Amino acid sequence: MYDIKPLEEEWKRYQRKKRRPWYILTAIAVLVIITLLAVLEYGKTDLLALFSKNSIEKTVSLPSSLPIEKSLTEEENQSNVPVSVPQANNTSVAVVANQNGSIEIVEELPIEEKSLQPKQPVVKEEPAVEEKPRKKMHLNIIETSSVSAYKDVAERFSQSHEIDDSLFLAKAYYRKGNYKKAEYWAFQTNKINENIEESWLIFAKSKVKQGKRNEAIRVLTAYAKRSKSQQAKHLLEKIKQGRL
Amino acid sequence: MKSRYADAKNVFIDSVDIDDYIELDSSTFAYRQLEHSMDKPLKMILLFGKPGTGKSILLNRIHKKLKHQKEIYYFDTPAVSEKEFFHKLFKVLTKKNLPGNTEVNFSALVDFCKDLRGKREIIILLDEAQMYGAEMMEKIRLLSDSRAVKFVVSLHKTDDEDLIAKEHFQSRIWEVIELKNATKEDQTNYIHKKLLKKNLFEIANSVKEKHMKLIHLFTKGNYRECNKLLFTIFEICEYYDTNEPSKINYENLPQRIIEMAALKLGYIHV
Repeated sequence: MYDIKPLEEEWKRYQRKKRRPWYILTAIAVLVIITLLAVLEYGKTDLLALFSKNSIEKTVSLPSSLPIEKSLTEEENQSNVPVSVPQANNTSVAVVANQNGSIEIVEELPIEEKSLQPKQPVVKEEPAVEEKPRKKMHLNIIETSSVSAYKDVAERFSQSHEIDDSLFLAKAYYRKGNYKKAEYWAFQTNKINENIEESWLIFAKSKVKQGKRNEAIRVLTAYAKRSKSQQAKHLLEKIKQGRL
Repeated sequence: MKSRYADAKNVFIDSVDIDDYIELDSSTFAYRQLEHSMDKPLKMILLFGKPGTGKSILLNRIHKKLKHQKEIYYFDTPAVSEKEFFHKLFKVLTKKNLPGNTEVNFSALVDFCKDLRGKREIIILLDEAQMYGAEMMEKIRLLSDSRAVKFVVSLHKTDDEDLIAKEHFQSRIWEVIELKNATKEDQTNYIHKKLLKKNLFEIANSVKEKHMKLIHLFTKGNYRECNKLLFTIFEICEYYDTNEPSKINYENLPQRIIEMAALKLGYIHV
């Protein structure tokens, strides 16, 4: 009988060698899974952010107002306009709370003005701009209609909350076909002054252009009921008949 | 006390003993093919295949079966010299011993064979014919031309031996029978039948399909290699059965033991 022990040892070494590729494969698989999970987790955060925006949009009776505000808020942040997301949340909460078809709620948000005011770090860099008469600049912008001019007006609005600026931007963006921004600026105008008819009409038309016909009808119906505006009624008919 | 695996181990001692012959589909087919070829008026029949494919045991079996019906002789080991070979042949043909201090005259032997034509039909089974030199094979061919002596030549199948076959037999051999390695099914039957022949039912039952697959993988279906591997497997089992019974499963042969045997025989390496 030969010695079995060395053979057993040899077999153990053989087993280890046989399993080595599996260990390597398992390690690679684990690494791949971890990487995938990490990637998915990162992607999920983004998705969640998007999802939360969408869900807010769904719960609001005037759904377009919040997402637009939010998305534009992001854009404005990029261009150093300090409009905060919490402000948008405040708006949405207020809107939901008064969900009864009335649009008056939109104007119950003077808080935003307050919340916006402390956030003026950009202004500090350009103190001279503040001193300039804004109407002049307004005219210049109309002439140039350059992207930077729009930004300047938006920046100025963030500080002054002049409805001329916001209405100008709403009209200008509507003309350019940027209905999302047009809606946002019309909404900003309405928040400051709910009686500017032109702003309501742009707001409604921008919504229709973005495919939110029902929302537009709801908003415009409420406004027309409140203001008895013939133009609003006329536009409402056009939207209902699909002629816009 | 003698281990149950001792008998199992001995079953796989490699031999050409006809009692160990196992009827398999492939071997039965080869046997019938050879028997049929021998009935034909052929001068030479070439039986070839790799070592361990069952050539010797086939020749053995055919010799044992036909020796009472035909004049058939089995030359199991090649003669060391030409002289010795012709001594053997002389004895077969003349049924007499060569007188002392004499040598066979080849021409006279050929003439003698020619005289036998029609009177006797002699079949000579030459195993391990690759051991004969080219000159010797040529003489065998001349003897077969007499039509009184028929040779069944068994050759290992290697490149060189294929060459021998081509050079010396191609034009003269009328029938070629090739033996191949066993299929997994044949090898499974072979192992089970061998064990059952010795009434080792439990052990045969402990060798499962997955073990057969592994054994076939290691041995590539070669019967000689299979015998070697099974012998080693049961030798290891015998050791465990006697010394460390906890390391063996009597109902299911541990794969570890097959791999250990394969390591020992060099089929696998660390």
